Amino acid sequence: MKRVQLLILSCMLASFMYAQPRLPQNYYWQKLDNGLEVVVIENNKVPLATIEIAVKNGAYTEGPEYSGLSHLFEHMFFKANKDYPDQQKFIKRTEELGAIWNGTTAEERVNYYFTFNKDSLPAGLKFMNAAMRFPIYRQEDMQKERPVVDGEFQRAESDPGFTIWYECQKKLWGDLVTRKNPIGDHNIINTATPEKMMTIKDKYYHPNNSILVICGDVKHEEAFSLAKQVFGDWPNSGFDPQTKFPIPEFTPLKSTEYFVKETSIAQTPYLNFYWQGPDYRHDSAATVAADLFSTILALNSSKWQQALVDKGLATYAGVGYSTNRYVGPISIFIVPNPNKMKECYAETLNQIKMWEQDDYYTDEQLADAKQIKYRDEIRKKEKPSSLPSQLTYWWASTSLDYMTDYEKNCQLVTKADIKKYIQKYISGKPYVAGLIINSAMNKAAKTDEFFKPSL
Amino acid sequence: MRVSFSIKKIIFIPVLSLFYLISAAQLKQPYEMNIEGVKVIVQPGGNEILEIQTVFKGGVQNYAVGKDGIESLAINALTECGTGKDDKNSFKNKLDKVSAQVYGSSGMDYASFNMNCIGSDFEVVWPLYADALTDPRFDEKEFNRIKQDAINNLKQQASQPDYAISKYAKQTAFAGKDYAKIPEGTEESISKLTASETKEYYKKLLTKSRIFLVVVGEVDRANLESKIKAMLSPIPVGEPFKLKKEPYSPKQNSFISQKKDFATNYIQAITGAPMPGTKEFNAFSLAMRIFSNRQFLEVRTNNGLSYAPYSYFDGGLSSSANIFVSTTDPNKYFTVIKSLIDKTRKEGFKEDEVKNMKSTYLTSYYSKLETNGAQASAFASNEVIHDNWRRALTLNDDLKSITAANLNEVFNKYVTNLTWVYQGDPVKVDAKLYAPGAEKKTKIQPSKLKTKKKG
Repeated sequence: MKRVQLLILSCMLASFMYAQPRLPQNYYWQKLDNGLEVVVIENNKVPLATIEIAVKNGAYTEGPEYSGLSHLFEHMFFKANKDYPDQQKFIKRTEELGAIWNGTTAEERVNYYFTFNKDSLPAGLKFMNAAMRFPIYRQEDMQKERPVVDGEFQRAESDPGFTIWYECQKKLWGDLVTRKNPIGDHNIINTATPEKMMTIKDKYYHPNNSILVICGDVKHEEAFSLAKQVFGDWPNSGFDPQTKFPIPEFTPLKSTEYFVKETSIAQTPYLNFYWQGPDYRHDSAATVAADLFSTILALNSSKWQQALVDKGLATYAGVGYSTNRYVGPISIFIVPNPNKMKECYAETLNQIKMWEQDDYYTDEQLADAKQIKYRDEIRKKEKPSSLPSQLTYWWASTSLDYMTDYEKNCQLVTKADIKKYIQKYISGKPYVAGLIINSAMNKAAKTDEFFKPSL
Repeated sequence: MRVSFSIKKIIFIPVLSLFYLISAAQLKQPYEMNIEGVKVIVQPGGNEILEIQTVFKGGVQNYAVGKDGIESLAINALTECGTGKDDKNSFKNKLDKVSAQVYGSSGMDYASFNMNCIGSDFEVVWPLYADALTDPRFDEKEFNRIKQDAINNLKQQASQPDYAISKYAKQTAFAGKDYAKIPEGTEESISKLTASETKEYYKKLLTKSRIFLVVVGEVDRANLESKIKAMLSPIPVGEPFKLKKEPYSPKQNSFISQKKDFATNYIQAITGAPMPGTKEFNAFSLAMRIFSNRQFLEVRTNNGLSYAPYSYFDGGLSSSANIFVSTTDPNKYFTVIKSLIDKTRKEGFKEDEVKNMKSTYLTSYYSKLETNGAQASAFASNEVIHDNWRRALTLNDDLKSITAANLNEVFNKYVTNLTWVYQGDPVKVDAKLYAPGAEKKTKIQPSKLKTKKKG
């Protein structure tokens, strides 16, 4: 009998151990009974604590009728709740706690964070709990906050970098562009109601769709205990929001699209290219290969940098990939030399055509890129208060295992992996190319004569 | 409270904040050395990162009107135009191999040339850093390339409304003075600079009388001393150098505007502030932070007029108080902000606000201590502006004795006449509201302002 009990116990232990995600040193994980994941990161460099709650919400959950409302919801978090019924009281409390605070809304995550003296941790968690679980949405508060959020939108629209990004997104994602645009739609923001806020809360703001991270000069046993005390009675929704409200799959881009956006706010041109890239769900290996390839192209010695920046055709030429759960974009962002627009564009295409060639980069460059990734990991860990946001990004768009294994997996990437990534997602695939430029520069450069598809 | 579009990009921005302290519990004691007649400030420990900064005092005081940008270009050329031992590509490729950052910048009060690497890479990176600092090549072909890039960057910056309004405010307020110069230069000034002229300028800048070093990170003292001694030995002593401090004190309210096709309007007010070294300095920084919180509540929370209202104390060698907003309703904003300023002047600050702000300061100080780069920048700015790097260690104690009465006194003394600048839709703003009786000033250009004096 005793042996059976032991067997059961060891099976349970094994099961528990299996459920634990892999984590870096000094990271600790628990899942509360209500489904809330809690991660504690012990780092006593400074006597501060940072708490963050992230929710699997954001643009990817928004159809056209909710475009931008995850972001408005995030703003309303800082407005009023049952303990602090107006924003004046809310802000006063942050001042009493000596807190630095903010929130962000992105494609696949909404997060809220506070940093304060480590002694304020219990009070800070209670404060976070009130805002997270018991928000108050008043019509008059909404009316005041809508133009604030719209004002953030207008600030973005005053930036040519945002303008070209937005134009490219519309073409890249088609009917589902709202799923990639956290800033949303002016009209939807300006007509938002408390009912719509409650709808978002009821759909996504549950412990089983959230993660709490406590980082800093804290002890994990005590932090877990506090988390359980404060958030333990937050009821589980009884459903998985990610399956109950499924996200439609993006349609692959059917054909290459070009556009030129003339605007007086573009003092110098920007050139963008976008492809639909891999995502974590279907091709996580390619997401790592993509990052390595982008790192190689950022090397001063790369053919890419030498052809474009070293030769004076561009002030900046960056290639990037954003790891997403739902189709990550591959992007090129170039600040061309305005006097050499045509040459810069031609050379960019020339380089892209060569990307899949075996000798486009050397083994040494691949090794250098891996060294950069190794050191990047050290640098990323330098600032303790930034660790929760880094973790929740990976949690929302990939997994904690992916985060922990990321650098190790970067070291395993081969030239064959990178070639496979380029062939599968870039070479010969449809893309979006956009140019933002002012009228005078556009006339001088005669972009209509050369800015055409030819890959 | 903001929207994120690309989270994976890690951007390292040098922080030039004035307010830091040192956590004696967590870090080893800092110390000062004099090597070859040059002050070297060292903060051992921290983490795996090593940050070294060579600071050149003077900033905009170092060059004549019309030579704007020469110092910035000279510092940039140290890494971009080759060194005695390496051409540009060889230099940058060596840095890439260890993912080290060697870079510089030139600001209003000083320039700095920095290296940031993993501590274990010190032996590899130091020779490159020392060579770039003491034996830059100023290769003409590379210089012409970075000149073109600098002009392109200026155009990019001009496309950023936040940057543009801040520059416009400085140029308007400090017309005819050193602080009206633009460290990044202008298209006109940059395009006239040659490699030989810039090299000659750098030669005069690099003197023992103007520089000091800051080191933050774990490095063997004897090794450090020996390396710094070898680097400094050939540098000439130079003429004794004393920094000027120039106060700003507008004699009346004024308003000036520029038409911009932005989606919203940008407004900044600038006025005088206590000079570094005065007893009022710390009280005013607390006052402006509290005022900024009040502005947030009044402009954003209560009136929904802006996403981004804030105020700050620019505590440089020509210190100033600044009040900023982006809004679609500039006239209503003025009524609100005017009323807030009047109320603050009349009713003053409360003791509990001051107590809470001191606590928030402490959090903010510790959060900036998290990175060695930010800590080095704190020592650097305090040494240049206050002639006392140890001020970074004592600020917590310095703030303790400050009372609400101190804040009231200093706010009322300095926040009086405001120099308003506006970029956006001219139809939406009533100049007379901002500067009654001074409406004729709305048409003039910043360069002509110094001739318009009124009692």
